[in-house]
Amino acid sequence: MDIQGWMLAVAILLPLIAGILVFLIRNYQARGFIVVLTAVALIVNSIYFLKLGLPTNFTPENQMWGTIITVLDYAILLFYIYAGLSLKNWLVLLFALTQIIPLAWWEFSAGASQKLTEITPAFMIDQLSVVMVLIISIIGSLICIYAIRYMKDHEDHKKLEVSRQSRFLFWLVMFLGAMNGLVLANNLLWLYFFWEVTTLCCFQLIAHDLTKEAINNGARALWMNSIGGTAMVAAMIFIYFNSNQTVEYLTLQSIIESGGTVAFLLLPVALMCFTGMIKAAQMPFQNWLLGAMVAPTPVSALLHSSTMVKAGVYLVLRLAPAFNPVLGVAVAICGAFTFFAASVLAIAQTTGKRVLAYSTIANLGLIVACAGIGTDLAMAAAILLIIFHAISKGLLFMCAGTIEHQIWSREIEDMEGLAEKAPLTTFITVIGMLSMFLPPFGMLLGKWVALEASYVVPLAAVLFVLASAVTMVFWAKWLGRLLQVTPKIGRKIESLSLSYSVPLWSLVAGIFAFGIGVAPVFDKFVKGAVGCVATGNVQNVVALDKMVEGWNIVLPKAAVLTDGSLAVVGSYPVWPLFIVFAVAIILPLLFITLKPQELRPVYMCGEQAGDADTDEWYCAADVKTKLQLGGHYYKGAVGEEAVNTWVYVIAIALLVIMFGVVGVSL
Amino acid sequence: MSQVWIAIIAVIAAPLIGGFLAGIDRRVTARLQGRYGPPIVQPFYDFFKLLGKSRIATSKTQFMWIISYLVFIITCLVFLVLKQDLLLLVFLLGFAGISFVLAGFSTKSPYSHFGANRELLQILSYEPILLLFALGVYTQLESFMISDIMASSEPLLASLWPIFIALVVVLTIKMRKSPFDIATSHGGHQELVKGIMTEISGPYYAMVILAEWYELVLLLGLVALFWANPLWIGILIALAVFILELFIDNINARMTGGWMVKFSWAIGLVLCVLNIFYWWIIKGVL
Repeated sequence: MDIQGWMLAVAILLPLIAGILVFLIRNYQARGFIVVLTAVALIVNSIYFLKLGLPTNFTPENQMWGTIITVLDYAILLFYIYAGLSLKNWLVLLFALTQIIPLAWWEFSAGASQKLTEITPAFMIDQLSVVMVLIISIIGSLICIYAIRYMKDHEDHKKLEVSRQSRFLFWLVMFLGAMNGLVLANNLLWLYFFWEVTTLCCFQLIAHDLTKEAINNGARALWMNSIGGTAMVAAMIFIYFNSNQTVEYLTLQSIIESGGTVAFLLLPVALMCFTGMIKAAQMPFQNWLLGAMVAPTPVSALLHSSTMVKAGVYLVLRLAPAFNPVLGVAVAICGAFTFFAASVLAIAQTTGKRVLAYSTIANLGLIVACAGIGTDLAMAAAILLIIFHAISKGLLFMCAGTIEHQIWSREIEDMEGLAEKAPLTTFITVIGMLSMFLPPFGMLLGKWVALEASYVVPLAAVLFVLASAVTMVFWAKWLGRLLQVTPKIGRKIESLSLSYSVPLWSLVAGIFAFGIGVAPVFDKFVKGAVGCVATGNVQNVVALDKMVEGWNIVLPKAAVLTDGSLAVVGSYPVWPLFIVFAVAIILPLLFITLKPQELRPVYMCGEQAGDADTDEWYCAADVKTKLQLGGHYYKGAVGEEAVNTWVYVIAIALLVIMFGVVGVSL
Repeated sequence: MSQVWIAIIAVIAAPLIGGFLAGIDRRVTARLQGRYGPPIVQPFYDFFKLLGKSRIATSKTQFMWIISYLVFIITCLVFLVLKQDLLLLVFLLGFAGISFVLAGFSTKSPYSHFGANRELLQILSYEPILLLFALGVYTQLESFMISDIMASSEPLLASLWPIFIALVVVLTIKMRKSPFDIATSHGGHQELVKGIMTEISGPYYAMVILAEWYELVLLLGLVALFWANPLWIGILIALAVFILELFIDNINARMTGGWMVKFSWAIGLVLCVLNIFYWWIIKGVL
């Protein structure tokens, strides 16, 4: 077996083996050791992917692997049927049957099974897959390390009799393997298999706590993603019968290379794109991801940053070259609408993790929209957003978990004045939040590129603008709750366990390193990945180019090619902005020190009950009352109850339009 | 190196202009209200007096965010005079506003929070209009660079006048003028007390005033971009808009935050979107 084979084995099979080991070993230390060891192996392995001559293919010589995957496919689907029956959840059952029956009919009754074993190459390793493998292996591994301690605290707090940490870590670690397989697979059947494994892991992890809510939400994630699975099965069968019962177009590579010119591929491409959008929790399917937050926080961190939802946007992005222009516009508008609607809904959320969830949905919408827009500039934006969103969201969810283990609540109102109780955690959280919308950081760079690219789809551009403004508001609202303090000097800094602090600080370092070094990151990763998904069916083709020549290293420029000449449309001075950030925020934080005599109580119309050391005041009838402040959530205007009907109506209408335009252009 | 000099001159000159405009503001407002009004340089006296006061604190992070507000506003101005990316400038301006909101949230004071929440509504009202302004410029020049605006011979006002009107609304909000002076009041005796400014005092209050001067010059500079060639016409237009703001301020009463968001989205945003869509249709993008 050559080197690619071994590397693929490490990326995909090692997590599975490690998962089985942690499942069997019931010792906290040994289990943690294995997880850390696996994490290191995965990270090193993923970095070695960069050394391969890309793009390259790999097909295992042994036919056995195909058989194993087919058997496991049915095993998973049979498990879904079992889950549907035992939970009495008919939707789970229904969408398991809609997968297994067509699949079985196709493979056995329609006699395709022999031909299906001939699909090559099974794996395709190009720069886009490698970027995804790096994200999954590095950020995913850090989250697994974080989970070691988190699950112990979680169970200590719940006072469980029998530890279920082994089971949890089994699914968590295996998830990484499935994700690696998903982004490397080229054979559609294998892609479908890994897709189902991620759905399964997701279901098991969401339902982990076995409360009624957890099981219900897990089941919801299962049936919604099974709709996606069904669409994918339908797409594969459709391709097979329309290409004269050959397997010619049953690989991603051949679909992409068709470049939207093979007419019958348009419908399956739209179907698979739909599958991706469900997994990326695009509206109207946002509910499964919102429900996923009942799970322990490492699950949310994993689902939102490096796995699961990123599989969805990966697939949409991967298929973008096979869109025709009309489908591209439809996808762009669907994504842009999700970006806008989710940002608005985030304003009204009172639970921290729900704000994070809506923010994830919004950003995924933006990425999907970029894939739909389809210019190189938009693709660059999408890939930048995938990278930076993974880092920032991974960090933010781990922060949310750390906060939860300090105050045992997820409510934003309970985080009031967290800067007093846990200054260190608050500091890291604030960095994470700022990195979502502050100018020098990568997320805003991505958003900026997306806006500069959005011109070709006007409606998407307008929605981007509105959503960007709303995004600032919901982050600022939450930040405001954390920062509120009473006048005091010298706060005690809390200590964090190593299993918490190592992943947290690594990601903080990642935010700064990737943010400052965005030019080399772009040059080394993004440019190549953009090349993998270049659509070439639009006139303006040049992306953020000329980034590393002389001064341009600090001045990425967005440019378009018009009439054969390169015209700069915008520039983004990264380093100067980091200097501004340092002067504006870091230096004041380091060098401002308060003296005790400078402290004063806040203005309370003269009704304070003491000096700066108290936050009590004389209420009606001179009763001493603790001052309480609350946040604004505008539930009446933008709460779920107020706007969800409209959101669903519009989102479903947009999906209908998307398939409508595909039908028309067939 | 000339770019560095341009930046330095702008950073020094802007507060002088801003303070001077603030003096005119007070004088004109006084006259409109039948008073005599302070001398034109009064804002500078006030500024230096505040600077000399001793510092009192309710929270350390508040100081940090006020500095951040000032630094980001200055950065925006430097972006403008160095003819950088307009879209990025708007993002930076948005964050400067957020910094100020966070300064308001950083202390456990009811009035400060009151004002900060309202300031957030203000950002929600004007930020999309400013972003659409940048998009509108793109429909004309196929570029977000201010240098391209300065180089174009056609005045933007001719093609983007609806966006110009929306920008006047933004300016009213940004200058905290009635009917949009909802985050803070000019007199400390109202139900708001001093809103978001309540807990800001002494040298840090001076910094906020300085930032507001910079902001005023910056926004008038953005207005002047509507007639960039020759620039003096643009500057005259900006000054005319400034005087117009003073009249708007004096003939209106403060409205509520919800009304402001509705007004600016219903009037300002719709004007911008119609304007942009018109050009999209004309240019055949749509």
